Amino acid sequence: MKRYANCNYIRLTALALFLTGAALTIGCGEDDVVPSEGFDASVLTSDYANKIVLATYSELDAKAGVLLAAVQTLASDATDANLTAAQDAWTATRIPWEQSEAFLFGPVDTLGIDPKLDSWPVNRVDLDAVLSSSQALTKETVDSLEETLKGFHTIEYLLFGVGSQKKASELTSREIEYLTAVTESLKGDTAALYTAWDPNGGNFLGEFVNAGMSSRVYVSQKAAVQEIANGMITIADEVANGKISDPYNQEDTTLVESQFSFNSIADFQNNIRGIQNAYLGRYQETGMGLTEFVAEQDSDLDARLKSEIEAAIAAIGAIPPPFRDAISNARPDVQAAIEAVQVVQTTLESGVVPLIESTDIK
Amino acid sequence: MRAKMRIGALIGIAALLAGCGDDNAVDIDTPLAGGDTTVFDASSHAYSMPAPNLDEEGLELHLEGDAQFEAVFVTAPAEVNSGLGPLFNSASCVFCHPRDGRAPAPMQGGPLGSALIRLSLPDDMQNGGAPTPVPGYGGQLNDRAIINSEPEATVAVHYRIVVVKTADGRSYELRVPEPVIQDAYTPLPPEALTSLRMPRPVFGLGLLEAVSEEVILSLADEHDADGDGISGKPNYVTDAATGRLELGRFGWKANQPSLRQQTAAAYHDDMGVTTSLFPRESSYGQLQSDDRTDDPEISDDILDAVTFYIQTLAVPARRNVNDPQVRRGERLFTEAQCSACHVPELRTGVLADVPEVSNQTIYPYTDMLLHDMGPELADGRPDYAANGFEWRTPPLWGVGLSVVVNGHMNLLHDGRARSVEEAILWHGGEAEASREMFKTMTHGDRAALVAFVLSL
Repeated sequence: MKRYANCNYIRLTALALFLTGAALTIGCGEDDVVPSEGFDASVLTSDYANKIVLATYSELDAKAGVLLAAVQTLASDATDANLTAAQDAWTATRIPWEQSEAFLFGPVDTLGIDPKLDSWPVNRVDLDAVLSSSQALTKETVDSLEETLKGFHTIEYLLFGVGSQKKASELTSREIEYLTAVTESLKGDTAALYTAWDPNGGNFLGEFVNAGMSSRVYVSQKAAVQEIANGMITIADEVANGKISDPYNQEDTTLVESQFSFNSIADFQNNIRGIQNAYLGRYQETGMGLTEFVAEQDSDLDARLKSEIEAAIAAIGAIPPPFRDAISNARPDVQAAIEAVQVVQTTLESGVVPLIESTDIK
Repeated sequence: MRAKMRIGALIGIAALLAGCGDDNAVDIDTPLAGGDTTVFDASSHAYSMPAPNLDEEGLELHLEGDAQFEAVFVTAPAEVNSGLGPLFNSASCVFCHPRDGRAPAPMQGGPLGSALIRLSLPDDMQNGGAPTPVPGYGGQLNDRAIINSEPEATVAVHYRIVVVKTADGRSYELRVPEPVIQDAYTPLPPEALTSLRMPRPVFGLGLLEAVSEEVILSLADEHDADGDGISGKPNYVTDAATGRLELGRFGWKANQPSLRQQTAAAYHDDMGVTTSLFPRESSYGQLQSDDRTDDPEISDDILDAVTFYIQTLAVPARRNVNDPQVRRGERLFTEAQCSACHVPELRTGVLADVPEVSNQTIYPYTDMLLHDMGPELADGRPDYAANGFEWRTPPLWGVGLSVVVNGHMNLLHDGRARSVEEAILWHGGEAEASREMFKTMTHGDRAALVAFVLSL
């Protein structure tokens, strides 16, 4: 989740070169800090928190509700049509979740919601053991189980099966009971996540938008803006150097994310779309994004990053599905996607983050 | 006690990286907490950054360790991350060390979560040796198990409230955790010693491993020869690879000599995952033991990558260092003798194969030694030379970022403190005089001292 080469690595490399030059002491003149002219970080943090984070979590919870209804319909009438509808609802719920991975901080982490929703691998030995037991399969049962027995990928395994071959007739009654309970559990977690940010609930949103003022969490607005950028970098790194690279480098299909549904390529694209949403300040509504801060100081950097994000989404989309086969038979396409995402990561690390640190954000 | 930076180059780094003139600027005479491994970030990623002085090869190994640190283990046999349990406290490193920081303490009435309970039998013959395992349990209570295997017990943690008043009449409600062990799979001997523990943050530890034994022993004063009421005692613990006694450095009682052993012990005791260092399952000899022959369940490559990852996590720089209140708090921290144990500055020596952390001047605010912290914090459970009253001084660097990284400020070995103030008010034993000084300070002085600690 945070496997990235910090910007400081690059900056210090540059610094080392710089310091071998001459000046060992640098004065604290006005030149060191670039005062930001028209940029108001409080608008950025507010728009980001309201129009990106809260809106995405609202969508996630709504889609999880649709998924639960579809699973309940399947439970009452196990037809292939109802199974397909539930599979589609699962895929639709993945979209806001994967986009939200561009901001895996705050309650999703501190309340342990991320591992409940998205743990992987599925503990199939234990799942089989639970299914073949006589234990009652309720939401409370699932809530009490390990994280590798719940969340998106357990639901995916039950709905799609290995190789995405599941037929409604193959669903056992125990599987259907478990599926209903585990989807109720997931819906409970998406609701809890929304509530934790909601100003009328846990109001983590307030901690973010009041950074540097009344916030108990963020000591400065700069820290909140760093948070936005770090969230984007983290998922870029995860997609480039983890989610795509690990199965690609080892040519190992067991390492593929969303391998039961064959939804990997969409997952990766939605991760990068999450970066795009955060950068442009655009989701269902448009607000201020990091783009305005960057453009004000370096319009070339801004234009470049925007096109690099588009290029990364396109490069992932150019991988022939399913991804599990592409890691063997379309390796140049996969390699190109990795590199396109790495370009985004590098621009964020070596372009955007230093700009944030060197700017006197109010 | 503020130390001046000694290296001109670092002045340049501080000025250039942090900028000058705003509230977050690093003053030129403010030390870099982690030497060349310092990063300037006050977001939730503050504990999770790779050391900025890693080279390309080092960064690659660090990132490999990072991925393993997040790996979630499952029941064997499995294609990926096989070998959880059968008994465990956690299925991944990151569950107990979220974002490389602090997990929250158990909720009122709740289960252990990321906390655990150490166990041992009282043993008059122990004489400073390893804790005696409890038959049927070992050295740690595993409250979780894979399906079809029975946890050793479940635990419900209740809190008792104790009211403490400062000299100016302000009262603090402090809480004492009282874990109740229930549903034991086999009776726990009534004489068993128990100790509730929270996991520790894992950043900056390579630097502490690189501090030479000589430097640490130079701070020791086991029999308080200088008469200041503060001793400082080294622990000596068994190195599992060599069988020799070595200086203990890590853990709440300094009972681990190295990060590699600490890491292997965590895989073994906490996750039920075997390594070449501890190849026998923690449940060996118990009813829950399986007869699988898949040990060691992770390779030395993984153990070494995770060890290197922990060794090379960066230390976040201080914030708000020019704030007058923070500066006043720093003076009070010294005057109240806090700095006698929470020693601000240490110099690292050479850690083999980890040049990033070698020969650094660092500001961890620890002496890495054991101190008697008084009866109220005592767990009564000896661990090698550490007696039931003694705890190793935990480093304070980065503590102010606990809320942004982990969403809470649960401090002390069992997470009982919910703020820096509460943590200070729990200090007893050798730190009793410091605590009393804190209690008699004006409200403004107490706030300043806390503001200083939060700037670390």
